[in-house]
Amino acid sequence: MAPTVLICDDAIFMRTMVGDILQQAGFEIVGEAETGTQAVEKYKQLRPDLVTMDIVMPDMGGIDAVREITKFDPKARVLMCSAMGQQSLVVEAIQAGAKDFVVKPFQPSRVLEAVQRVLG
Amino acid sequence: MDPSRYAELFRTESREQLSVINRALLALEQGEAMREPVDAIFRGVHTIKGMSATMGYTAVAEFSHELESLFDKVRAGDQMLSPDLMDAFFAAADALEDGVEQAREDAPMTASMKRVLERLNDVAGGRSTSEFRVVKPSDVLRITSEQPVPVEALDGPGMLITVTQSANVLLPGVRAFMVIQRLRAVGEVAAAVPTVDALQAATTPQRFRVRLVTSAGESEIEQAVRSVGDIDAVTVERREGSSAPSATPVAPGGERRAQGRRVTDQLGVDELGLPADKGATPRARHVRIELSRLDTLLNLIGELVIVRGRLQVLAAGLHAPALHEAMADATRLVSDLQTEIMTSRLVPVGQIFDRFPRLVRDVARQLGKDVLFAIEGKEIELDRSVLDEIGEPVVHLLRNAVDHGLERPEVREAAGKARAGRLTLAAQRDRSSVLIVVRDDGRGIDRARVLARAIEQGLVDATTKTLDDDTMIRCISHAGFSTAETVTDVSGRGVGIDAVQSKVRALGGSLEVQTAAGAGTTVTIRLPVTLAIVRALLARVGGERYALPLTHVRETMERGPATIRQVQGRDVLVLRDEVMPILRLRDVVRLPMGKDEAHEEIVVIERGDRRAGLVVDELTGQEDIVVKSFDAVRDGASLFSGATILADGAPALIVDVGNLL
Repeated sequence: MAPTVLICDDAIFMRTMVGDILQQAGFEIVGEAETGTQAVEKYKQLRPDLVTMDIVMPDMGGIDAVREITKFDPKARVLMCSAMGQQSLVVEAIQAGAKDFVVKPFQPSRVLEAVQRVLG
Repeated sequence: MDPSRYAELFRTESREQLSVINRALLALEQGEAMREPVDAIFRGVHTIKGMSATMGYTAVAEFSHELESLFDKVRAGDQMLSPDLMDAFFAAADALEDGVEQAREDAPMTASMKRVLERLNDVAGGRSTSEFRVVKPSDVLRITSEQPVPVEALDGPGMLITVTQSANVLLPGVRAFMVIQRLRAVGEVAAAVPTVDALQAATTPQRFRVRLVTSAGESEIEQAVRSVGDIDAVTVERREGSSAPSATPVAPGGERRAQGRRVTDQLGVDELGLPADKGATPRARHVRIELSRLDTLLNLIGELVIVRGRLQVLAAGLHAPALHEAMADATRLVSDLQTEIMTSRLVPVGQIFDRFPRLVRDVARQLGKDVLFAIEGKEIELDRSVLDEIGEPVVHLLRNAVDHGLERPEVREAAGKARAGRLTLAAQRDRSSVLIVVRDDGRGIDRARVLARAIEQGLVDATTKTLDDDTMIRCISHAGFSTAETVTDVSGRGVGIDAVQSKVRALGGSLEVQTAAGAGTTVTIRLPVTLAIVRALLARVGGERYALPLTHVRETMERGPATIRQVQGRDVLVLRDEVMPILRLRDVVRLPMGKDEAHEEIVVIERGDRRAGLVVDELTGQEDIVVKSFDAVRDGASLFSGATILADGAPALIVDVGNLL
C-alpha cells in the first residue's frame, strides 16, 4: 500500500509542487492543510505516514504544529519545508520533533531523499 | 512537472497574496492593529518569495526577499512606521505586483523595482543600501566561533566520531545539529569540536568531531550519523578507556535506544491497523480546474438543456409510457447536472471586492478626499464569468463616487457633514438575482440641474418635466456634459456611466440610480446569479415568441375584466391596492394590432420599486433558456438582451424586461 502523506503549506503552489513530487514517487496524498491548526487536526484525523510542514503559516505556525503533532503522536514523521535563511527556525523545528527538512526552492531528488530518510 | 501549470499557479496565488498584502497594508495604515497585519504581510511576501525562487524568477524572489527582511524588522519592533514608509510600502506592493505579472526566469530586477527599493531604504531610516542586498545563504547567521576550540575535550573515554558534510549540503548548521541530536539518542555527547552552538550556526559545510560515551557499536553509530543525510564521510574510532560494547542497561543513552526500538515495533502494528482507520475518515479534497473547462462544461450543459427540451416536445407527441418514464429520469438528471455545474462556477464576490479598498484609498489620496470605505456581503456568490465582467463597471462606479460623489473634507464640514465621506460597496441576494450596490453620502446628483443642462444642450425635449434614471444616465454620460466643476483624470472622460449600464445589460442585468441632492447617490446593479442559462417565461405575441427572464418578473395573471382600468385616458393595472402602468409587448416590439385580444395575459414586471403590467397574447410556459448574447446596443434604447433557441428548435428574442421600466 502506498505510504500516505499530509501536506501542510499555506501556498497552493507549494502544496501542488510537493504533492506532484510525492505522487510521482508513489505516495498517496491523503490531505492538505493551510494552517498549523488544520495540520494538527488533520494529522489526528488522517494519521498519515508522513507530514510535510511549512514553517511560516497563518494562525498557527509550522513549528508549533510539529510540537502539537509530536505531543499527540511521538512517532509522527514530519518533514519541514524551509526557506533559505530560516536556519534557527529549522533547528527549533527539529527540537520540536521534526525528523528532517528540505529547503526551498525544492529539487525533487532532494525532497525524495529526505522523505526516504524520514520514513527510514 | 509541467512548468506552464506552475507558472499559472504562481501567478494566481501571488495575486491572492498581493490582495492579502494590500488589505493588511490598509489595516496597518488605519492603525486598527499592528501585529496581525504585519504578520499577514510578512507571510504573504514570504510565500511569494518561496514560489518565485522555485520558479527561478530571480527578480521577484530578490525583491520580495528585501521586503520580507524589512517587514521582519517591523515585526521585531526595529523599524518604526511612518506615513511616508506606508506610501513606500504601497508602492512596493505595486512593484511586486508588476514583477509577478511580468515574471520571467532569471530576469534581473527592473529599474522601477530598484527605485522602489531605494525609496524604501531612504524612508526606512537612512540605512545604507548594502544592508538591503539579498541575503545569500552564507550571509545568514554568520557567527564566528572564535572561542578557543577545546580540542582537549575530545580526549577521554568513548568513541571519537569524525563527520564530514557533503559540499552541497543546504543549511549545514541544521544538519550538524541533527547529527548531534541523533548521537544523543545513542549515547552521551561528551564533547564536540567545534562546539554544538557553533555547529548549529554554521553556514558552510563542516568537518566536525564528537566524543560520544556510548555502549553502541561502530556500525550503529555510523548508521545514526548517516541517517541525517548529506554526509560525505564518517569515521568512528574507539578511544582508550571506553567501555566495550555490552548489554549494560545503565549506559547513558542505552535506555533511550531501547525505547527507540519499541517505537519501531509499534509502528509496524500501526501500519497494519491503518486501512480501517482511513476508510472511516471523510476527506475533503480540492482540485484546481482551468476556467476554460468550466466554460466548456457550461456550454455543453446549455446545449444539452436545449436538446432535452426538444426531446420533451417530440416525446410528448408519442404514446409510449416507457419513453416518458425514461424522459422524466433524463430530465431530472440533466437538471441535477445543470445545478451542479452552475454551483461549481459560483465564487464569492469577495474575490474581486477585496482589491477595491486599495483602489478607493489610492483614488481618495490622489484627490485629497477622506473616505470611509465599507464592504458588505463579501460571501455572496456569483457566476465566475459574471464576476469577471462586473469588476470593471464596479471600479468605475467607485471612482465616480469618490471623484464626483464625495465632497472634499472642508466642503463636507461646511455642509454639516462628517469630514470623511462614507462609501459602501454591498452585495445582496434578492430572489434569483444578486444586487451590487455602490452607495455614497456625497453631494448627490441634482436632477433639476441635470435637466436644465440637458435641455440647454438639446439632449432632451424642452418640455421634459422630470428625468427618469435612464435618461439621466444618458445625459450625464454624454460627452462634454458635466455639472462637476472640474474634470479629473480619475474617472476619465468619455467613458461614462452609460458604459457601465451597457455592460450590465449585456449581462442580463439592470442599473438603478437613486439620488438626492446633498444626501448622496446609490447605484444598484441587479445581476442574474448565473449568466448563460436563465429561467424565462415564454410569451407569444401574434405569431412571434419572446423570452422574458424571471429576474424581473414578479407574477403573472390572466387578464380579467376588472384588472385593467382607464385613468386619465391611460390604461393602468389595478393589482390589489396598487396601480401600475400597462405596457403592451405588441406595441413595444411594434407589431400590428391583432384581431383578438380576449385571451391576453399580464406579466407583472418590476425593477427596484417600479412595476408595470406587461400585456402579452399568451404565456406558453417556462423554460430554461441558454442566453446567446449579442453586442449590446449602446444607444440605450435596445429592447433585447440576447437571443435563444427554444426547446422546439425555434429561435426567440430575449426581452430586456428591466429596461422596459
